[in-house]
Amino acid sequence: MLSLGPVAFLSPWLLAGLLALPVLWWLLRAVPPRPAERIFPGVRLLLGLNDPEVTPDRTPWWLLALRMLALAAAIIGFALPVLNPQEDTLADGPLLLLVDGGWASADDWPDRVARLEVAVDAAVSEGRPVALVHVAAGPPASGDLPLGEAEALRTRLAGLEPRPWAPDAAPVTDWLRGLPEDTPAFETLWLTDGLARDGIAPLAAELQRFGPVTMVGTGAQLRALTAPTLDGGMLSATVLRPEAGPEESRQVAIIGLDPTGTERRLATVTAAFAPGETEVAVALDLPVETRNRVSRLRLEGVTSAGAVALADDTLRRRKVGILSAAAAQEGQNLTDPLFYLRKALEPSADLIDGVLTDILNAAPDVLILADVGRLSAGEQVLISDWVEGGGKLVRFAGPRLAASQGGPGSVDPLLPVRLRAGGRDLGGALSWGAPKALRPFPETSPFAGLDVPADVSVSRQVVAQPDPDLAGKVMAALEDGTPLVTGTAMGDGQVILFHVTANAEWSNLPLSGLFLSMLERLSLTATGRRAAADLDGDTRIWTPEIVLDGFGALVPAGDLAGVPGTRLAGEPPAADAPPGLYSAGGQARAVNLLGDGAKLALQAPLPGVAYRGLGAAAQVSLMPYALLIALGTLFADLLASLALSGGLRRGGGRMAREGQAVAPLLIAGLAALALGRADMALAQSDSLSEADQAALLATSNTVLAYVATGDAQVDAVSAAGLLGLSRTLAYRTAVEPAAPVAVDPETDDLALYPFLYWPISEGQAQPSDAAAAKINTFLRTGGMILFDTRDAPLGNGFGAGGTPNGRVLQRIAQDLDIPPLEPVPQDHVLTRTFYLLQDFPGRHANAPVWIEAAPAARQIEGAPFRNLNDGVSPVVIGANDWASSWAIDADGLPLYPVGRGIGGERQREISFRFGVNLIMYVMTGNYKSDQVHVPALLERLGQ
Amino acid sequence: MSTPRPTHLDHPGRAVWLRRDAEQVSGALPPLLAEAERLARTVSMGLHGRKRAGPGEDFWQYRHAMPGDVLDQVDWRRSARSDGLFIREKEWQAAQTVALWVDPSRAMDYRSADAPRSKAERARLIALALAILLNRSGERVSLLGVDPPLPPRSGPAQLSRMAMALTAQDDDRPDYGRPPDGPMPRGGRAVFLSDFMGARDELFAGLASAAQRGVSGCFVQILDESEETFPFDGRTVFRSVGGSVRFETQRARALRDAYQARLAQRRAELQDVARRTGWQCLFHRTSESPRKALLWLYMALGGQD
Repeated sequence: MLSLGPVAFLSPWLLAGLLALPVLWWLLRAVPPRPAERIFPGVRLLLGLNDPEVTPDRTPWWLLALRMLALAAAIIGFALPVLNPQEDTLADGPLLLLVDGGWASADDWPDRVARLEVAVDAAVSEGRPVALVHVAAGPPASGDLPLGEAEALRTRLAGLEPRPWAPDAAPVTDWLRGLPEDTPAFETLWLTDGLARDGIAPLAAELQRFGPVTMVGTGAQLRALTAPTLDGGMLSATVLRPEAGPEESRQVAIIGLDPTGTERRLATVTAAFAPGETEVAVALDLPVETRNRVSRLRLEGVTSAGAVALADDTLRRRKVGILSAAAAQEGQNLTDPLFYLRKALEPSADLIDGVLTDILNAAPDVLILADVGRLSAGEQVLISDWVEGGGKLVRFAGPRLAASQGGPGSVDPLLPVRLRAGGRDLGGALSWGAPKALRPFPETSPFAGLDVPADVSVSRQVVAQPDPDLAGKVMAALEDGTPLVTGTAMGDGQVILFHVTANAEWSNLPLSGLFLSMLERLSLTATGRRAAADLDGDTRIWTPEIVLDGFGALVPAGDLAGVPGTRLAGEPPAADAPPGLYSAGGQARAVNLLGDGAKLALQAPLPGVAYRGLGAAAQVSLMPYALLIALGTLFADLLASLALSGGLRRGGGRMAREGQAVAPLLIAGLAALALGRADMALAQSDSLSEADQAALLATSNTVLAYVATGDAQVDAVSAAGLLGLSRTLAYRTAVEPAAPVAVDPETDDLALYPFLYWPISEGQAQPSDAAAAKINTFLRTGGMILFDTRDAPLGNGFGAGGTPNGRVLQRIAQDLDIPPLEPVPQDHVLTRTFYLLQDFPGRHANAPVWIEAAPAARQIEGAPFRNLNDGVSPVVIGANDWASSWAIDADGLPLYPVGRGIGGERQREISFRFGVNLIMYVMTGNYKSDQVHVPALLERLGQ
Repeated sequence: MSTPRPTHLDHPGRAVWLRRDAEQVSGALPPLLAEAERLARTVSMGLHGRKRAGPGEDFWQYRHAMPGDVLDQVDWRRSARSDGLFIREKEWQAAQTVALWVDPSRAMDYRSADAPRSKAERARLIALALAILLNRSGERVSLLGVDPPLPPRSGPAQLSRMAMALTAQDDDRPDYGRPPDGPMPRGGRAVFLSDFMGARDELFAGLASAAQRGVSGCFVQILDESEETFPFDGRTVFRSVGGSVRFETQRARALRDAYQARLAQRRAELQDVARRTGWQCLFHRTSESPRKALLWLYMALGGQD
């Protein structure tokens, strides 16, 4: 390799050809351009004429210079010039590619893979064996270096994925120590994420034992988000960067369910790093209802598991309704049964008090009745309805409750157990026993794991009747086994009774910290969740529900094994417990990569390790450019020669004939263009007039449009399919669409089109926020999108755990305003806008087609259909690959086979009918649905 | 069918030649004939009568019988309607003989890039269309300068024989054509279709000898547009189609005026020969419509009686 500044030549000896240029000069100069030879019958008339002018036979110098330039450019081109030559090849012999591959590597993962490809390509050309070790995924199972052909490794690179946890260097270090004695020396290329972690320095030292180590990549660009916390009612999180830098601002999206149950962005908050700061806290004051729906926070512009923070119930402030029978008594705060409850709950919950109806109207999570005896029948119905709908009723005993119970047949349905009349006194003046302490909580209790202070004692309580099922209802008991807290399920809710008062009269429980914890747990489990802070000592098995992948996308946990709570509390996420949402016993908690107070730091440079940036890795071959110059010069030479011999004087046919000679050169030139980088291709100039023309076309005609996916084949099928549908519509209906057009939601105005066909392909890019907003406007203002995942035979539609295309659709739809869906019901207006249809096949049949779920509708007597289409569905989602069955070529013949034989043609026909119905549905909305009123109208006319 | 050519049968690639001939017979002929028919139909005029009474088929007029008329000629049916006797006269229809010569030389194959047809194609088309028209009016047509000779005849069979003879490709054709020197029907008419680009002495000697055989007719000079405008420039080697003549120039554009002057001179000479022998001259370009030339020829042949 010969280096000249940033340019190097891989075959420098070819440059010797430049020495031959002077010889060529002399040779070329001697040969004048060839005269044009023409057949001309009139030549006889020319015989004997004298040439009035004589031009030199010698080639003009500038033509010579042009040819020299062409030749020099060609020689330079074939000498393989490269810009930014790669010189990783510090040593010969085997190469170890070490990839950190943790969450911190995910953001620039394509660059890392590209860098690996460069290294593998170099190894292929040098014939070096290569081994690949993914640190986050753990060391290879075999005890020796997994060296292999570099060529074979290439296919593995595409499948490499970052893991959603931090890479642990220690196992790899151990593995290196365990390598057999005869392991050859190897060079290491370490694609690091640049973050400081324990074990990196030992690993580097161990690697240096075998050969030189080059570290590639830096974590300076990394940004991450800590787990959200609730701080004084504000939702807060911290955005981190590993290195103090200039001012910078980042967006944090707060994502959750909207009131209709669709996941969408609830709010966006801007995090602005001050210069020199490495972290910035963001806080947002959301209304309680909104905050309770927050499911996760996402740092915009970073695709990494570290940029997504899942929310759990630590974020949620419960609404607790408190009702007491006692009228407020002046000056008796310390005996007020509500005083202790208020003090205990105020920090963690929103309290609601007032009359019962007011409280229930505010939809509390928990309703606390402190010493309420008899409830009126109406109140009882109200409360039991509320409990059965998922509420949690917590009752405290007291004199009134004790007095109201125990009569024959006086079973209070709002108590978990039947109570004996009166209750019992312990350790009073007239009793034998002493006040009792508490037993440790049983495993099944919601209080399991709480420490029981020794000094809590109960001196008076109400006592449950010893029913056969009493044991199952006990949540806490006294030393002697008397139930202290009992609870039972009721509908979707729960009824819990503290057998003591909420004030300190009957026991000193309300004075202890335990009371606080118990209430907290009760209020937090009110919606099936549990506080995060108290996992210590929790031995229950937590099952992962949803986990993050390395890029920060949510994926179903599948069959990942559950882990004990202590594991979640103790160690950071790793392969056995990836970050995600875990549940146990109907409660859930989030495991995030970065807890509150986490910091990012860069790894200090290690001695003896070479460092390289990731970005400068691209080695650009200049060969196409040089050859392009050579070809361009040759073309100019051709034109010049033509001009010299008079070939250019008249256009028309002669030029066309010369053009035949030029064409191969032009083609060669284009090929050279293609050889060059993609950015050499001329940028497509979308001038204003083109956009205007498209708008004109779309507004003066009905135009069906499809979303360009970027996959040329899919787009071609879409275009042909919509063309087929347009023709069919024009033949059969009054809708006569113009030729279909491709639209790009990023750039094109969607408002011009009534209908978009959106095929889903795996490589599809996520629409930007602006595009998503545009699409949402389109959907809200009457546009319709037909999403087609085209993969019906692959199975499970687009839901979780679905096909790859289904997942892409889910990812795309996440930012879109898509209403709740249902499979098209049998009597949907889509089945009868033009044709009467039962199913909607495309190239595939039998996959369900989903549309907006209709509100519960009533059947009108005598009408064949329900009146349920007041709203027109903005989306139709299916997997039947309709475009392929609609697709026709220019002659109107179908492009792709559908089914087999006559049945297949029938299926194609039905598919066209579906298309016609769909467009009719788009165009006429619920018009056809109005016919349900026809019987009623006829009847009225008859009268 | 055309007579087989012995040279081709002896050729090693005999089958190929046969095939080529067969394709030409079945392929090229009908288009030419059809095109000529189409062209001739645009000059539809009916039978080429003599506009005078004489022997013929068609009714011309009734006239009163004069003393001296033969009794056989009296048209009794007409005479019965009146007192006098009437003679039914017919139009005189005498067949003429028109000899056509289509220059078979290679120079006629020339076609510039802009031209719709080569000169030879145009010449054949005009000749055949003219033959169709003449045949329709009962004239006899012969084709000169072909081997085997095509004696004057009339009827559709003659047309297809002519078409066959016109489309037959001869490989040893001369570079430039010279007028035929074979026998020509006395008192007949002749039409020479050529570019008249041959060597001057040869060409005019031939023309004169043809004209002197008591035949009157028309010269039709068919030229390509580029042969009139000479749109060339730069260093050029000009070469005749057969390659027998070469001429090299450094700057073709400079020769244009001289060339055009020579072309004008050639045309003047052609007109001179025509005038002296009572022939007529038409200069036709392949870029023009063939109808124009056909109409002119038809008028020139019919109008001279």
